Amino acid sequence: MLSAGKRMGVVLATPAVFYLLVFFVAPGLLLFVYSFWTSVAFRIVPDFVLSNYIGSLTSPLFLRVTLNAITIGLSTAAIVLVLAIPVAYYLVYVAKSKLILYAILITWFSSYLVRIYAWRTLLGTNGLINTVLINLGVIDEPVKAFLFSAFAVAITLVHIYLPFAILLIVSTFSEIKQDLIDAARDLGTSFLGGFFRVIAPNAVNGLLGAFMLTFILVAGDYVTPQMLGGASGQTTGLLIADQFRKTGNWPLGAAEAFLMFLVSLAVYFGMLWLCRMTGISVKRRPLEKRRAVR
Amino acid sequence: MILLRIVVFAIMAFLLAPIVIIILFSFHATPALTFPFTGFSWRWYAQVFTDSQLGAALVESMKIAFWTALLTLVLGTGASLAWLRLKRRGRAVIEILGITPIALPGLFLGVALLVLFAQLGISLSTVTIVIAHVLLTLPILLVAMKARLTLFDPSLEEAARDLGASQRQTFARVTLPLIAPTLISCAILALAISFDEFVLTSFVAGTETTLPMYIWSMMRRTVTPLINAISTLALLFSILVLVVAAVVGRMRRAAAVADRTKS
Repeated sequence: MLSAGKRMGVVLATPAVFYLLVFFVAPGLLLFVYSFWTSVAFRIVPDFVLSNYIGSLTSPLFLRVTLNAITIGLSTAAIVLVLAIPVAYYLVYVAKSKLILYAILITWFSSYLVRIYAWRTLLGTNGLINTVLINLGVIDEPVKAFLFSAFAVAITLVHIYLPFAILLIVSTFSEIKQDLIDAARDLGTSFLGGFFRVIAPNAVNGLLGAFMLTFILVAGDYVTPQMLGGASGQTTGLLIADQFRKTGNWPLGAAEAFLMFLVSLAVYFGMLWLCRMTGISVKRRPLEKRRAVR
Repeated sequence: MILLRIVVFAIMAFLLAPIVIIILFSFHATPALTFPFTGFSWRWYAQVFTDSQLGAALVESMKIAFWTALLTLVLGTGASLAWLRLKRRGRAVIEILGITPIALPGLFLGVALLVLFAQLGISLSTVTIVIAHVLLTLPILLVAMKARLTLFDPSLEEAARDLGASQRQTFARVTLPLIAPTLISCAILALAISFDEFVLTSFVAGTETTLPMYIWSMMRRTVTPLINAISTLALLFSILVLVVAAVVGRMRRAAAVADRTKS
């Protein structure tokens, strides 16, 4: 027998839970079922075959674009993390600047497409960066390679996902008290030592979380590579999107989506394992539960 | 320390520069997107306001954003109040279900929904876009609420009940004022997120064109300074929404505190 409060709780939760079951869990399961079906002459036929999975895994194109997506994802997430840490550190421990925080929020909420467009114009042959470099005499001819390259894709993706990562890391750092750093500094640790030996070990799970979330979102982002990557811009995401929008082989697209999902999971557990093995991350009890040494 | 400051300012400059440049060139007199800046003009803005297709896309986006925010608010309020009443397992269900969608790429959610709608024979329309958008905004509300609700003291509700308040009075005078600021600012953020959403929309929009989809089709055709002007206006809208969300959050909280000290 449920208590009145609990029963009320169940009633109140029902709409949201029902919504998520119908529009999130059910579609996910349905997509999984689809991945075993076949597409015959543009008609989708219920079936149980593994050919979509086997076909994808043995297709050089699929492997190439997936490797591309993983490379873009890992490199972007690494750069994002390296850039986000100093900003978050500054915001939490040095100056709680409202101005910087608002600037980050504004960039986060400025349109996704607009930022892609901005970098496209900045990096173009007639773009601002080339013009400035020519006027400064650094280069004689516009560098075509700025646009439609892995570089253009990376810089834009970093720009898009950095604000979110900063906010995630700010919330991680906020849980680590300033006193800990002060104590370490008083005991003679250098500034960097304070970061690497006090903050980083305590924040490692949050940092890993920020890295992985950035990785998953970047690896699945196919619009930026498509718009800025030129020939190098084909990723698994684009392949999947095209299966659903152009080719019409939905079962194959579904299988590819699940393979991409599995790859993301594999990367996640791989990173976790790597951190454990190298001793970067240790299982820790939350700070407040740790007993003081007597 | 000085080094850190320089690094932080350089990173912030990197984040803001493209946006500043877009705004600057939206006022450029010529279509060129290069320096030197040859003159100031409103011509691109004038063009924006005479583009009827753009106007239609804008109205469509606003309609979708409104319904998304409303649905998010209704579902989110229920889930938040439920979270307060439920114990460990019930909370875990809400958290896991509610938070997973944002950890997945929009592409994945988009194709999954497309398959569902096709299977159920639901034709793509404004409604399907709203359904998809809520999948992104509801989790954000739940994440924000969870951080807020862990600070919520259930004994406040009990105290009100002990002092003879009915269930409805407790809800209206104690619970709601405490959670309303977060709920409302999240609903406003939902408005902004829906307004900008592109990837998910591109799968579940039938013949409807939202503002981001219109910008996308323009981007694919040409590089036109018109996009700068639209972008600047969209940015203004986002800033406005952020400011409103922040002000509402603060105002409601202040009002709630004042109300409590008064009575």
